Amino acid sequence: MNPEALVRPELDTGVPSGDLLLEFAAAIIGTDLAALDKARTALAEALGPAAVSGASAVAANFSKNDRVANGIGIPIDDMVFKGTEDLREQLGLNAYKSAENTFRHL
Amino acid sequence: MSFYSDSEFPVRDDLADAHAAQFERFARAGIWGSAAQRLAVISEARQSCIDAGMLEAPEDGGALPDVDLPEDVRAIIRCLAASPRDFDMDTYQRARDAGLSDPKFAELVAIVSFVVNLDVYARGIGVPLRPFAEPQPGTPSRELPVEAVPEQAFVPTIPNPPEGGALARELYGPFKPYIMRALSIVPDEFRAHVELEQAQYVLLPKIMNFDYNHHEGLTRPQVEVVAGRVSAINDCFY
Repeated sequence: MNPEALVRPELDTGVPSGDLLLEFAAAIIGTDLAALDKARTALAEALGPAAVSGASAVAANFSKNDRVANGIGIPIDDMVFKGTEDLREQLGLNAYKSAENTFRHL
Repeated sequence: MSFYSDSEFPVRDDLADAHAAQFERFARAGIWGSAAQRLAVISEARQSCIDAGMLEAPEDGGALPDVDLPEDVRAIIRCLAASPRDFDMDTYQRARDAGLSDPKFAELVAIVSFVVNLDVYARGIGVPLRPFAEPQPGTPSRELPVEAVPEQAFVPTIPNPPEGGALARELYGPFKPYIMRALSIVPDEFRAHVELEQAQYVLLPKIMNFDYNHHEGLTRPQVEVVAGRVSAINDCFY
């Protein structure tokens, strides 16, 4: 999987139907209902109807986790932080406001 | 009958049951909030997402709150529900200034996060948001685990074993990452967080098994594309 596609969705994810999954993930938490309807239909046609439920569950789960993480102000775990310097830089994650919850402890 | 019997897309029974259970939990007294207060919090969270265009208002939203939340608490709920990328230490401090203790704040974060979770799912599969149940009588348990101590989050958390003691071993097993321990100052919310995680993402004992597919039609790399894209849009560093 190409992680850069997660922040630059015009790139190839390297995952089958990754473009459809990126579109669905953005649409389900976005404000354009027509775009969500279109992304849902495309996903069902490509990966089957059960994949719509699965992708919705994962998007819902990380909607939860992002709010828990930012709301409680947790830093990322040491073992993840230490192995991701280059990736964080590449993806621009260090510029996120919530990065402060990690960097204020350094 | 399944909680999502009106869905045209198949929904696993364990997932539907986990969501139904969470809606029932909303209607009961929590650890610090009464059922009426919890209904007021989740109603504010849902409405803020509707106002932001992130959700469509249902015809039947269910029970209506009869508790007026203070305006500064409502602002904190709205920020977390509709603009999580903007939630920071200053927002937490405003919650404390508004009179929320750390465990009350953690319970608020939990139920706001959970209701957004459930509503996003309903929107994803194209069904109306599920109605809220009428709040049930009952008294908050006010269970405060003595094992919770200041670590690196805004609120105290229960450390992993051995520092977290017997309660940590019961809740976590040998280890849990911070994202799971985050709500441990309110153990019932921690348990609900784990239940949703297992139904929606992956069974936690299999989290390092990248050949295991928890969702029909999706491989683990495909799951990670959805997870990573959502968190990138939410500017979540974690």
